[in-house]
Amino acid sequence: MKTIGKRGRFFALVARVLLLMVFFLVWEYMAAKKFVDPIMTGRPSGIARFFWNEFFVTGNLVAQLGWTLLAVSGAFILASVLGLFVGMTFVTNPFLDAMLNPIFTALNAMPRIALAPLFLLWFGLGISSKIAIGASLTFFIVFYSTLAGGRSVSQDHIVLARTLGASGTQMFRMFTLPSAVPVIFNGLKLGLMFSLFGVVGGELLASENGLGQTLALLAAAFNTDGVFATIFVLSLVGVAFTSVMNTLENHLLRWR
Amino acid sequence: MMSAQVETRGAVTLTDRLADAAPAAVEVCNFNVRFSAEVLAVQDASLMVRPGEFVSIVGPSGCGKTTLLNHAAGLLPAEVCSGIFKVNGRQPREGSHDVAYMLARDALCPWRTALGNAELGAEIRGVAAAERRALARDLLAQVGLAGFEDAYPKALSQGMRQRVALARTFCLDSPLLLMDEPFGALDAQTKLQLEDVLLSLWEKTRRTVLFVTHDLSEAVCMSDRVIVMTARPGRILADVRIDLERPRSARSLQKDPRFHELCGELWAKLEEGMTT
Repeated sequence: MKTIGKRGRFFALVARVLLLMVFFLVWEYMAAKKFVDPIMTGRPSGIARFFWNEFFVTGNLVAQLGWTLLAVSGAFILASVLGLFVGMTFVTNPFLDAMLNPIFTALNAMPRIALAPLFLLWFGLGISSKIAIGASLTFFIVFYSTLAGGRSVSQDHIVLARTLGASGTQMFRMFTLPSAVPVIFNGLKLGLMFSLFGVVGGELLASENGLGQTLALLAAAFNTDGVFATIFVLSLVGVAFTSVMNTLENHLLRWR
Repeated sequence: MMSAQVETRGAVTLTDRLADAAPAAVEVCNFNVRFSAEVLAVQDASLMVRPGEFVSIVGPSGCGKTTLLNHAAGLLPAEVCSGIFKVNGRQPREGSHDVAYMLARDALCPWRTALGNAELGAEIRGVAAAERRALARDLLAQVGLAGFEDAYPKALSQGMRQRVALARTFCLDSPLLLMDEPFGALDAQTKLQLEDVLLSLWEKTRRTVLFVTHDLSEAVCMSDRVIVMTARPGRILADVRIDLERPRSARSLQKDPRFHELCGELWAKLEEGMTT
């Protein structure tokens, strides 16, 4: 594979910024001259103005972001803890695995976002229904990666542990769990994105708060600039999640 | 065929006599392992190993060498075995502190540093942290890895990884070491180096070693005795005493005529075992 040096990476950055500038300038020009309908496409200047006002002046976007982040954290933590726990229980208890795995497979095969209306009915318009939707998506991802990870312990390690007289707890703590961490971590990374996806999806359907609800209101009012600004905030959240998880992974899995 | 059996019995009576002085570290008598109706892995094996003896087991692939080690480590289910097999006068038991097992592959934990891997066995067997860490550090230095304590296995070469595995094995206080082709995957040069590392570690404490290998010159250069097994079903064909002087060095032995003579002798036995 060809690689580029430090200079190459710098020029790639400059070229990227230039490309984006050209893209936004063309967009702005086309919208200003009505070559495209601004109600459909918005205008970069309008998007920036909306973002500035709602984020830094009124703080409305920040407040809605707070609600969404709260729901995502709730969904992610709840689903991860449950997914890890149930996954590891299945790894250490083959009978439970044999009995329940088909049921879990069937549940996972359901398009769970279709359950969203049911969750809204059960848990209301508040944050609980959003946590339920996000968690229902994340749980299975974390669960299945835990199951796969928990089974990835090497045969050599099992023989070594047996000859050393490792107890069940030692086996789990010193071999099974560390072997599983890389696979589990991939599941957690994906699971966090799916929590965000589920929560915003739920907010779009029906909600009292959150960026998804903001999005629904702005779209209904044909405020396209506002819709784009909100999507921009959501993608920032996604980027932030990814970078936090990557940093954590590089630290936890520095042995790889 | 006939002569082989006579020889086997002869060897047992000789070791029997030696065993009178000290209790046997490993005592095997008319021992069989049958995995299924068709698969008889070990047939009528008898063997005495005195404490402090370095005994190698050689034989064609699939002859039950590893099966013997696995049983000594208590890894075989009781129902496949018959006959007598005792380690330190006791039935082999899985996880027994009497034995330390070194596998053909290093089996290092990639998430642990060299030091963490070297102390792993002692940690599982409940040795206090400060004590086992000091011992592991000392052993890493003895296997030539001083300065690599904090390196993760991914940064170590195959030879270095096997050195860590040696340190992990010697970090245990077990009187019997079981080694299953520990240097089988190494290139010739690295292998000679590691054989010398193992010899020097062993010289210090002179623990009993059961060493499985398919490399005859390795068996000769390490051992006090070499047990030759036949192809499946594995029977003990010969028990050859290696009268080379100790302390030995694998590298300087390469020039010793007596060493090559013994290797030749073993080759003849082994070939006999493959045809019977």
